[in-house]
Amino acid sequence: MSDQLTTDPSKPAQRMRAGSMTLTLMPWIIAAIALILMPFIFTSNSALTIMNQMWITVIFALAYNMLLGQGGMLSFGHAVYAGVGGFACMHIMNMSDLFASFPLPVLPIFGGLFGMGLAMIVGAFSTRNAGTVFAMISLGVGELIAACSVIIVAFFGGEEGISGDRTYAMPFFSNEFLQQIDVYYLTSFWVILAAALMYLWSRTPVGRMANAVRDNPERAEFLGYSARWVRFYSFVASGFFAGIAGGLFAINYEILTEENLNTASSGVILLVTFLGGVGFFFGPIIGAIVFTLVQTVLSLQTELWAFYAGSLFVATVMFFPGGLAGLLMMHVPVFKLGNAKQLIQPYIKTLLPAAIGILGVCALVEMTFHFRHASIGDDEMTLFWTTFDIHTLLPWLIAGAVALIGIGIAKRNAPELKEAWDAANTAGDAS
Amino acid sequence: MSTPALELSGLKKSFGKAEIIRGINLSIGKSERHAIIGPNGAGKSTLFNLITARFMPTAGSVKLHGEDLRGLQPYQINRKGLSRSFQITNIFPAMTVFENVRCALLWSQGYKYSFWNLVNRSRQLTEGADAILDQINLLGRRDLPAGTLSYAEQRALEIGITIAGGADVIMLDEPTAGMSHSETDYITDLIMKVTEGKTLIMVEHDMGVVFGLADRISVLVYGEIIATGKPEDVRGDPRVQEAYLGAALEAEH
Amino acid sequence: MELILVNIIDGLVTGLLLFMLSAGLTLIFSMMGVLNFAHASFYMLGAYFAYQISIALGFWMGLLIAPLIVGVLGAGVERYGLRRVHQYGHVPELIFTFGLALLIEELVQFIWGKNQMPYSIPEVLNFTAFSIAGNSIPAYKIFMIFISVAIFIGLLYILTRTRVGMIIQAALSYPRTVEALGHNVPLIFMGVFGVGTALAGVAGVIAGPVLGTFPGMAFVLGSIVFVTIVIGGLGSLWGALVASLLIGWITTFAKSYNLAMSDVFNAVGIATPENLSDHWLRDLWTVTSPQIADILPYILMVLILIFRPAGLFGKRHS
Repeated sequence: MSDQLTTDPSKPAQRMRAGSMTLTLMPWIIAAIALILMPFIFTSNSALTIMNQMWITVIFALAYNMLLGQGGMLSFGHAVYAGVGGFACMHIMNMSDLFASFPLPVLPIFGGLFGMGLAMIVGAFSTRNAGTVFAMISLGVGELIAACSVIIVAFFGGEEGISGDRTYAMPFFSNEFLQQIDVYYLTSFWVILAAALMYLWSRTPVGRMANAVRDNPERAEFLGYSARWVRFYSFVASGFFAGIAGGLFAINYEILTEENLNTASSGVILLVTFLGGVGFFFGPIIGAIVFTLVQTVLSLQTELWAFYAGSLFVATVMFFPGGLAGLLMMHVPVFKLGNAKQLIQPYIKTLLPAAIGILGVCALVEMTFHFRHASIGDDEMTLFWTTFDIHTLLPWLIAGAVALIGIGIAKRNAPELKEAWDAANTAGDAS
Repeated sequence: MSTPALELSGLKKSFGKAEIIRGINLSIGKSERHAIIGPNGAGKSTLFNLITARFMPTAGSVKLHGEDLRGLQPYQINRKGLSRSFQITNIFPAMTVFENVRCALLWSQGYKYSFWNLVNRSRQLTEGADAILDQINLLGRRDLPAGTLSYAEQRALEIGITIAGGADVIMLDEPTAGMSHSETDYITDLIMKVTEGKTLIMVEHDMGVVFGLADRISVLVYGEIIATGKPEDVRGDPRVQEAYLGAALEAEH
Repeated sequence: MELILVNIIDGLVTGLLLFMLSAGLTLIFSMMGVLNFAHASFYMLGAYFAYQISIALGFWMGLLIAPLIVGVLGAGVERYGLRRVHQYGHVPELIFTFGLALLIEELVQFIWGKNQMPYSIPEVLNFTAFSIAGNSIPAYKIFMIFISVAIFIGLLYILTRTRVGMIIQAALSYPRTVEALGHNVPLIFMGVFGVGTALAGVAGVIAGPVLGTFPGMAFVLGSIVFVTIVIGGLGSLWGALVASLLIGWITTFAKSYNLAMSDVFNAVGIATPENLSDHWLRDLWTVTSPQIADILPYILMVLILIFRPAGLFGKRHS
């Protein structure tokens, strides 16, 4: 079995695979093309806004993962770097002379610089430690800055925040970015650029050593690298890219408030990154896209979306800590062995009933919530396109039945899935 | 008289009231192969940790090529040319074997904390790492995650990482621990090969390895060195015999 | 003079409350290396459960039963949640407790809604114990002090004088050894987690009527508790006490004396700049002590982390 996976030293082509760049360029090209084409498929302004939100979150999540996934550093107050970058950009927008001297696409760089500056100050003492102590410091500093933001009205604008107008920059090829579509392409450009830069960072000496320090700081020291300084540089770089995300937020929404800095925002980015999967570069990208969709779409359907998000988060930590990316990549060996087809039927037989069962549980949850909190007389509710009276027994029975049957069938078929999985993961027939 | 590669003077270490290392004087010359042996609990690992700045000495000094190492961090000591392996295998299990070795080369090839080079692009890094892999016979395992290697292979990788940076003083902490007879022979040959011309300091339990490899040995008992010298001389030293035999006799009761 | 006395009492109440929360948290950390982000959530659950019980059975039953329920829940979380995540390492543990905190907050909102619950002081304690210079000291505050001190003494006694306490203290530093001696360490872990969360629950029961019972209460207090144990030193019970009292008094005094920064600057000889409303540092000049009262703990924490990272009483990190 190991012969398939080891490298044959006599085949230079195989060896250089570790260093070749052309293969890995494809996903980027595809992504760029997809970004350019998306507005033609989803044309409404609200779709554009959602996509912009996604890309900004992608940059922020990737920046966050530079610390969490690649550096093994859990930072609880990371929103402040994006926030400060964003606020700095808002102030620049309001300095009309300065703002008119460069085109808008350059603005996020300033956000990055401010985010980086703050990260340098905080990192000076926080990166002396790793692990739990680092997390504590980041929490405290994050809270401190967020709390200060209400007091320091000059920079943070107090309760109303700081607002501005993005159209007063120097026109960029005569584009003043009046329209949402202009902003979309600006954001898309930045997301590809930022993601590419962050990806390349992970391939540099300091990026590689960040991984090493994460896995084994003691060993890394005996390779000549100070674990503390490696962490510091990762932290600063992460602050830079977070600041860029903040700058893009400023451009998109033309207002920054205390909300952008607070612990809740920091919590969200942790959730997003972890959900996507911290072990792979593209994990946070998936997490950001999925979460933004869930947040925007689901929040229209139910008041309880935060509850579902929280449950999903806890379930992820407990049952698949590799996140969505981890789940996907788990299938790579199966594909390599050519056994993917074996899994299709077991998956359908287990996951489909499970999904239906979960929907049943959600229905029960929604109904309970409505039952408990609806005003008197408000007996009807709409769920899954049917309206019904919450006080009658039938809807409850149906929901309960669906839940039980769905989960029951899933549980019954689960062993079959496990068998199929094991079989699919075993290399070839006896040769 | 040339400066010894490593010189320990009056080295002491106490943890609270327990004095583990009780005054060690030792001088190891350049390109010497020196083994430190002794019964369990004698303080060998503590001694290693003192030299490599994992612990701070309570008294005394450690000099590397005549330079006092007091107050230096492990990474600074490493940059001065001292490298160590660990008793419990200490590699980067999530990275491939190749990447493990490549990381060990980064500093010595002058990359420091650069973020403007791509490691994949550097011929020097790739060829350097492959050369080391060749030396430790792990080229065939090049792209496997290091964590999937067998125990002996991981130990070999550990040695590879230790020497990759080009350090001239190599410290190996029980390199053959837990190995079968044939694996031990294999690793011993490997160590011979890769530490050619370098100063080697080794903690070992396996007497066969010690006598085959070492130019001089020191015997550490209860935090003190009771004998230093050529292997044959030390073997005949009555105090050493008593320390080992004495321990054996006690064990019998 | 009398105002100082009032503030001392108020600060004591806050400090002791904070101590009940931070004691459990620092114990849990010290034993299991887990920083329980959901700790303040158990505090919240204590308040809500007590409220619910008090509707049917009265305040005192709530005081008795609610912490027990919270403790059992806490033990359950440890047994079925934390233990499972433990194998993945410290970072997933932290993330798990963080997610749990989120979930509990949503759960509370789900069951009880977003508004503040009318959880109030029991009638029998709803009077003025005494007054100092015109400020009335409610009997409930004295009660709070009483309960907190009683619990502290009880905790100290159990930990230092009983056999169970000795085993726990040993397991704090050397769980493997204690396990090798035949003690059921996983059970001890579960127990400590349960007791720690039950303590948080007690704090919730008695603080709920005074600080308000609403879904955000965990969040409000949560980060202060972390700040407290960092200042006191992770793992140190005495440190938690000292830091809690310190923070209690600092915030109380800062809030009651309306000290403006400009007064401080003037006192050292720096004159107030003209045209203050346009000055870029105007916020620094106009800030008053009540405004920064709540962030003083954070500033203190950052200072401690820079100059004495192990905390006031903490052990040095290796």
